Amino acid sequence: MTLRLRLNGRPVQAQADPAMRLSDLLRDVLGLTGTKIGCNAGDCGACTVLLDGRQVCACLVPAARAEGCDIRTVEGLAEGGALNALQAAFLRHGAAQCGICTPGMLMAATDLLARLPTPTEAQVQDALGGVLCRCTGYRKIIDAVLDVAGPSPPVAGAMGARLPKVDGPAKLTGAERFGADALPDEAFLTIRAIRSPHAHARFTLGDFAPLLAAHPGLLRVLTAADLPGARVFGIYPTGKDQPVLADGLVRHRGEPVCALLGDAATLAGIPEGDVPVAWEPLPEVTFAAGGPDLHAHAPGNVLCRGLVARGDPATGFAAAAARADIATATGFVEHAYIEPEAGYARRVGDGMEVVACTQTPYMDRDEIALILGIPPERVRVIPTAVGGGFGGKLDLSIQPLACVAAWLTLRPVRMVYGRGESMAASTKRHPARIAAAAAADAGGRLTAFTFHGDFDTGAYASWGPTVANRVPVHAMGPYAVPHVRCTTAALHTNGPPAGAFRGFGVPQAAIAGEALMDMLAAQLGLDPWDIRRINALGEGSTTATGQMLGAGAALPECLDAIRPRWQALRQEASDFNRQAGVLRRGAGLACMWYGIGNTSMSNPSEMVIGIGADGRCTLFSGAVDIGQGSNTIMVQIAAEALGVPPEALNLVSGDTKTTRDAGKTSASRQSFVSGNAARLAGAALRAEILRRANAGPEAMIMLHDGRISVVSGDAATILDPAAMAPDAEGLVLRGEGRFDPPTTALDAHGQGIPYACYAFAAQAALVEVDTALGTVRVLRIVAAHDVGRAVNPTLVEGQIHGGIAQGLGLALMEEYLPGRTDNLHDYLIPTIGDVPEIETILVERPDPLGPYGAKGVGEPALVATAPAILNAIADAIGARLTRVPATPDRVLAALAR
Amino acid sequence: MKVFDYVRPASVAEAIAAAAAPGAVYLAGGTNLLDLMKGETLRPDRLVDVTRLPGLDRIEWLGDGGVRIGALVRNAALAHDAAFATAYPAVAEALLSGASAQLRNAATVGGNLLQRTRCAYFHDPASACNKRQPGAGCDARGGENRLHAVLGWSEACIATHPSDFCVPLAALDAVVEIEGPAGRREVALEALHRLPGDTPERGTALAPGELIVALRLPGEAAGFAAHARYLKVRERTSYAFAVVSAAAALRLEGGRIRAARLALGGVAARPWRARAAEESLVGVEAGEAAFRRAAEAALAEARPSGDNAFKIELARRLVRRALALAVAGTPARIPALPASPFPSVAGARHDA
Ligand SMILES: Cc1cc2nc3c(=O)[nH]c(=O)nc-3n(C[C@H](O)[C@H](O)[C@H](O)COP(=O)(O)OP(=O)(O)OC[C@H]3O[C@@H](n4cnc5c(N)ncnc54)[C@H](O)[C@@H]3O)c2cc1C
Ligand code: SF4
Ligand code: FES
Ligand code: FES
Repeated sequence: MTLRLRLNGRPVQAQADPAMRLSDLLRDVLGLTGTKIGCNAGDCGACTVLLDGRQVCACLVPAARAEGCDIRTVEGLAEGGALNALQAAFLRHGAAQCGICTPGMLMAATDLLARLPTPTEAQVQDALGGVLCRCTGYRKIIDAVLDVAGPSPPVAGAMGARLPKVDGPAKLTGAERFGADALPDEAFLTIRAIRSPHAHARFTLGDFAPLLAAHPGLLRVLTAADLPGARVFGIYPTGKDQPVLADGLVRHRGEPVCALLGDAATLAGIPEGDVPVAWEPLPEVTFAAGGPDLHAHAPGNVLCRGLVARGDPATGFAAAAARADIATATGFVEHAYIEPEAGYARRVGDGMEVVACTQTPYMDRDEIALILGIPPERVRVIPTAVGGGFGGKLDLSIQPLACVAAWLTLRPVRMVYGRGESMAASTKRHPARIAAAAAADAGGRLTAFTFHGDFDTGAYASWGPTVANRVPVHAMGPYAVPHVRCTTAALHTNGPPAGAFRGFGVPQAAIAGEALMDMLAAQLGLDPWDIRRINALGEGSTTATGQMLGAGAALPECLDAIRPRWQALRQEASDFNRQAGVLRRGAGLACMWYGIGNTSMSNPSEMVIGIGADGRCTLFSGAVDIGQGSNTIMVQIAAEALGVPPEALNLVSGDTKTTRDAGKTSASRQSFVSGNAARLAGAALRAEILRRANAGPEAMIMLHDGRISVVSGDAATILDPAAMAPDAEGLVLRGEGRFDPPTTALDAHGQGIPYACYAFAAQAALVEVDTALGTVRVLRIVAAHDVGRAVNPTLVEGQIHGGIAQGLGLALMEEYLPGRTDNLHDYLIPTIGDVPEIETILVERPDPLGPYGAKGVGEPALVATAPAILNAIADAIGARLTRVPATPDRVLAALAR
Repeated sequence: MKVFDYVRPASVAEAIAAAAAPGAVYLAGGTNLLDLMKGETLRPDRLVDVTRLPGLDRIEWLGDGGVRIGALVRNAALAHDAAFATAYPAVAEALLSGASAQLRNAATVGGNLLQRTRCAYFHDPASACNKRQPGAGCDARGGENRLHAVLGWSEACIATHPSDFCVPLAALDAVVEIEGPAGRREVALEALHRLPGDTPERGTALAPGELIVALRLPGEAAGFAAHARYLKVRERTSYAFAVVSAAAALRLEGGRIRAARLALGGVAARPWRARAAEESLVGVEAGEAAFRRAAEAALAEARPSGDNAFKIELARRLVRRALALAVAGTPARIPALPASPFPSVAGARHDA
């Protein structure tokens, strides 16, 4: 039918199927991709638009409903090309991280502000409650809406400045291109995977001829037999075990068995049941019960083991005045980034070009090359903006099938995961089953710590070894313990592959370790703060791997900074609990540490910065910004090193053809590792400029009007880039930087230097538990983080808020059950109403190795939150939960014990 | 999605005629229907768009002080109607505790009553489900059923009805006005949803092609306005379906209960009116002892349908809490977290 409506103030007409979703009408028919699709189910609110002034989920509005209506989308907000007041407030407050939820947030807030120009915080939470954000923890979004009329103060300097994100404006206007927004220029095909509904099964594919005949728009069905190169992929060179397309056997629900290639409408219309696959289900290997071996190379289903051993725990336990034991368990946790995986591939001559959301373009490139059977140089990976990653976009998603299809058909091929597919096919946080014990002397000094953790790594290896190796190093927590034995095993099951998720197993371990600290404190009559302070790792401490920590280790400072808040929270809880009633409050404290970068492995980063003949200075950064702000951080650091304001730099980011390998955006390594590379590159360019100008190190560099002025005292030298000879890459002056954190391999007992730098934190939580109904509300979080140096405090706070929200989800509501929670209303993540007021305390003690002292904060933000909340619940109700999430049934069961 | 036919009738009569075709369904706000169509759970041949039918989007006050709400009134419009929220505060609170602002702006009264169960197996084409495919079996029975029914379930189906709105409506004797091929009729809201028995595929008392045109609340029900609450236990603060919910409404006279209404949500395939509990409350002194007896009576028939025994005790406790809060009085404004059982949540406004 022909629809007539007003769109952003202008009348438009469109041809559309009346039952088409309004979101598809806007994006696919009218070309406005600012409205995002996160679920197509009303669960995420990314598609929020205004319909006659009221916010609605465009994904659940039939196009016919829009007829004659006034529709406003994010594209209609900017005024005369400039950000409007709300957008400017979002930019100023750092309210957009990855930006995928931002259009929805802006539209919901626009609806609110039109009715209530000066809302209260509760009104903001109410109005924005239907839009999920996985990155920000919502606090900066609330601040931005409340401060919509506020001024934008000028920002000066590079290091330490609250510089608005360099890629911020595009995220606020809807101009940013995410995986599903990027389309090839030429006509393209769509590919749809057919996935296993069984966790473990043999299957045979039937005859596709009738299906092909029934659907002229279906071009071809890809099966394992069509694969041109490697049939399996995986993160570790030795652990490539995940089939691109399963070949007769599936090992997890959601594993692809074949793929339909054709036009999007045809594919969407083919019922799953019409695809001829005959299943023979097999018994499921579970984490609880185990089962027959799933892989020949993993006898007993043990993928790998990890160990850190120091001293003799038996001696430590014997000498102790107190001993505590605990067994804890956690389930699968889903990343739940709001952007499902999407992108396209096209064949360019004898090479392949992939445009998709990813956290790790270089690893993707190498892996795709293997799958296609071509050299890596012939693959170009161009990352789109990433609508949240958190580790989940480190593994390949749409790339293998899209690339294989494009390779075989010579046509561009697009693949967009739906929410259910994203949840079924992507990796998860490892479920953990942990048994740990700790002992202390009468003064509270730890004497021994033992830990064994089984981690369910699911059907395929993915990042399982990383978890198995990282956990033993961190499991005893950020404390000095003389006698330690920490072991781990990564076990295969028929669960979804467990991979990388913010913290690589450390958050699961911290739940056990931080409970033990409180249990010991209780036995010894110590305050939870005191026992942590007594044992805190600091400068000069020796870790369980035998590493002596340098000046950057600032846990004592974090604990000292949080102490007054901790005491106030304890007081508040005990004051509240003096009144009778079913509500009980509790305060909980937890510390954490986190090694920055890969464990005992080289993980270099390279950056190039250069000046072209036109005088423009560009930073070529291969570090992918997944919302955390590395684009901005790299510019700030490089500008500081070069000695120019950040505005003077252009940025070219993350394309395997135009930038160098900066390594993956994981392990909280970009600020520290790539930041150092950016600093070295900036410094090298500065040295080169000063050399050409014959100026001393104190000279000032200014870039203006296509020229470079070098001012030293009264003397000024002008360099003219136009007069210099450009190199092959068009640069007349360049600086390069490379940094690889100095680490050593761990020996058979896990002794060595696994990381060059550690981040520390202490977090405190105040909770209220309804002891009759079993519900828990977090009332406040205080987070003191050792960040070395905050390159950009707004971004650091944003990381901490977002990590806390995810930690809160882990503690209270998140558990992924394959096939049962493949959507965002059965799989619950925190909403705007769940995240309490957060106070962040940035402890800035420069790390000697960090760029200007900075270290990473991405994962550290999450680790301490769940243990702090669980300790607070235990404080409130006098009973400890050892299984998360702490849903009402579990809280009630703990109370009944 | 399947290719189908879309019609937009101009009158109720036309709509009913259009919906007589096999495979036809009514389309209202679409917030449930579009979702079902995506998941292959529902593949209609024809959509009969009723959203532009004249006269069905009005809230009319009746002679007896009751109210007649057109089936197309949006959930948000009803919850924010000041006169309605004053007369039936627990209904407004239930509406505001459901879904999100976006969905409430789009969802209609009729659609809310007829939303389908959220049982994950019902929505998963690879699972056996008697409701979707009669005789196929019920994978929820041996599966993940922590949140399934504890009342009124059968071996064939243990699903719950997810609506919040329906819970106080059941408590307050709402009546549904229906027009269909066989003319006009009314059913009590309590009888609109069917318990599964052996035919879980038939979720409601509607005959094929019948259209809900309005919902009526009697004037008598407004007599509970001073002591009426809806409480909802959910696993996050907002935007989540109920684990268990309860609507409690009382008429008090000098500390004694003159009349009581009680219904539970999230426990059965329909909003569960607890009549025995109501009777136990009439004439007695409002207080913990009475609430305890009422809670026992309300859940007397309850039994777990799987891994969900906790819901029975939780429901008892929620009944006691809802009654206690109802005695304490309807708040002047609906709290910031509508239906939250946390009384200490800062009581900011939820402008009606
Ligand atoms: C993410 C999400 C969260 C939600 N959370 C909650 C919650 O917490 N609590 C809650 O109560 N609800 C919740 N809902 C459900 C929501 O309330 C319903 O989707 C909505 O009320 C349905 O109304 P609609 O007008 O959009 O109906 P539609 O989707 O148009 O229709 C729903 C069904 O009713 C039929 N129908 C509609 N109108 C009529 C009529 N007049 N006569 C006969 N048949 C009719 C349709 O054929 C269809 O089968 C949630 C929904 C979503 C998507
Ligand atoms: S409980 Fe009912 S709806 Fe759920 S699978 Fe069983 S039959 Fe289907
Ligand atoms: S895409 Fe519409 S709510 Fe998620
Ligand atoms: S910024 Fe909200 S989801 Fe990423």
